[in-house]
Amino acid sequence: MTTLDWIVLVITLLAIVTYGLYKSRTTRNLDGYFLSNRSMSWGLVLLSIIGTQASAVTFISAPGQAYTDGMRFVQYYFGLPLAMIVICMFFVPIFSRLKVYTAYQYLENRFDGKTRMLIAFYFLLQRGLSTGISVFAPSIILSSLLGWNIYWTNIFMGGLLIIYTMSGGAKAVAYTQQLQLIIIFIGMFLSAYMIVHMLPDGIGFTDALHVSGKLNKINVITTGFKNNGFDWSDQYNLFSGIIGGFFLALSYFGADQSQVGRYLTAKSMTESRVGLLMNGLVKVPMQFAILLIGAMLLTFYQFNKAPVFFNEVQVAKIEKSALSDSFHLARREYENITAKKKEAVSSFVQSLHADADVSAKTAEMKQLQQQSDSIRKKVKSWITSKEVGGDGNDTNYIFLRFVLDYLPAGLVGLLIAIIFLASWGSIAAAINSLASCSMIDFHRKLSKKEVDHEREYKLSKRYTLGWGVFCVIVAMFTYNIGNSLIEAVNVLGSLFYGPILGVFIVAFFFKKIKNANAVFWAAVFAELTVLLVFIIAQRRLGFLWLNPIGVSAVIFFSVLFNSLFKKQIQKINPA
Amino acid sequence: MIDQDNDKIPIFKKWGQWYVFLVAVLITLIILFYFFTKQFS
Repeated sequence: MTTLDWIVLVITLLAIVTYGLYKSRTTRNLDGYFLSNRSMSWGLVLLSIIGTQASAVTFISAPGQAYTDGMRFVQYYFGLPLAMIVICMFFVPIFSRLKVYTAYQYLENRFDGKTRMLIAFYFLLQRGLSTGISVFAPSIILSSLLGWNIYWTNIFMGGLLIIYTMSGGAKAVAYTQQLQLIIIFIGMFLSAYMIVHMLPDGIGFTDALHVSGKLNKINVITTGFKNNGFDWSDQYNLFSGIIGGFFLALSYFGADQSQVGRYLTAKSMTESRVGLLMNGLVKVPMQFAILLIGAMLLTFYQFNKAPVFFNEVQVAKIEKSALSDSFHLARREYENITAKKKEAVSSFVQSLHADADVSAKTAEMKQLQQQSDSIRKKVKSWITSKEVGGDGNDTNYIFLRFVLDYLPAGLVGLLIAIIFLASWGSIAAAINSLASCSMIDFHRKLSKKEVDHEREYKLSKRYTLGWGVFCVIVAMFTYNIGNSLIEAVNVLGSLFYGPILGVFIVAFFFKKIKNANAVFWAAVFAELTVLLVFIIAQRRLGFLWLNPIGVSAVIFFSVLFNSLFKKQIQKINPA
Repeated sequence: MIDQDNDKIPIFKKWGQWYVFLVAVLITLIILFYFFTKQFS
């Protein structure tokens, strides 16, 4: 990084922390600290919802995902708008009527205290761990790319935001997210512009789309059906996206306090609803645009030298191993193919412009891409082999490697700042929600002592600090998950979201189920079922399916236990 | 969030119209993405 990049990075980060502190003045009670006195407009709610969901990996990994697997990842978000509708219809009015601080408070009204605490515990467990991983994920990428010390990067990634999150609570979180998102969108737009701008003369945006499309990266819609029927292990397709994505989004936005806490800050139910519905409108096009950057990047690398493997730390490992000679040979072969690709793609575009038949040129391009893909596959297998023992997934590094290698000074600093800002947006909201859940669902409930507003406010700040430190510590110990950081966060969420959402669905739609013990044990058994399915099915089942399985298990066990407990009571107390 | 929904619903008259609009946008996007995939693949 150049001096200019460092200046841009430091100024951007300091500006956010200062702005967060400036906006942190709030009333010294729980309403002010956790819900911004319920004063936010729908625009702020919307940006806060987006800023909470979009972590650093959203902006770093998504282009890499499109580069390697195509744009089909966008289907993961197809269920989201439908979930927004259900939340506006059923969740928002109830939370609003009861004036809750956390979603789990409602469960005590509907069932009992232990069901509320069990579900709050599921939330704390999965959100606490996944936030720790969310601190580690961008840190490891930055430390690998820039040679920064991982411990210091973790502390900067998770530590600086604690200052304004602890000081200003939900209000500081929402206002900083607003500024963070503006900077993020400017940075992403500039990098997308630069990719197209740096394509050779005569190659336009549409040509780049044709090239990327012929190389199977414009696969926005896929059905998941193969020759022998539907592929249940396929992670992203139209059906898993709509069904699995719907349940995932419903759990995340309806029953995860990190999101519920955002729209509870709205000044009215209307503002909450509009914020959520606007999120349903913008999320899919936004993800599409981010993925499109990756598809464009693939075309860019048809004309420019691409590394055979994008994570240089792993490349250094293989170079020190017994496989070094084989690796160098493979890299040379890869570079030769890149030179051929450049000619083949230029020729393809010329034919395209001349309205000539492009089938032969397309076949040549595809063949060369297959050759380079197979070399990359071979290199990845060497990196993960016993001799090297490295991380064979470089998806997270693809976009940032391009940024460092090709973007001008200043813009590199801005893009690195974006990683921090995107992380801070989601981590700050998560820490705020972990603190509110600890304070409201556990401390307030279990504490026998009466305390005043000032004391509660101070305690909430301590919980915020405590969870912030906890997440940094988890990040410090997060090793050897390596290649599957984003997936680890998603899988962790899917393991718990089904049972959490299931309890809310039983509460809302199964009015006849009134036995609190039945629902409590149903939530326990449903969690065990999800864990069992996850262990047995392993990679044969896409993780999105765990969400509907968890929901169905809670409903099934609730109905079963409710009728069994009813019969038992009838036996003990016959009419 | 206050338990009053007396605020005027923006753009549409009823929330139901908002929901239908959102579903229509989603379906339109999926159709557009399908043709986008067909066009360039």
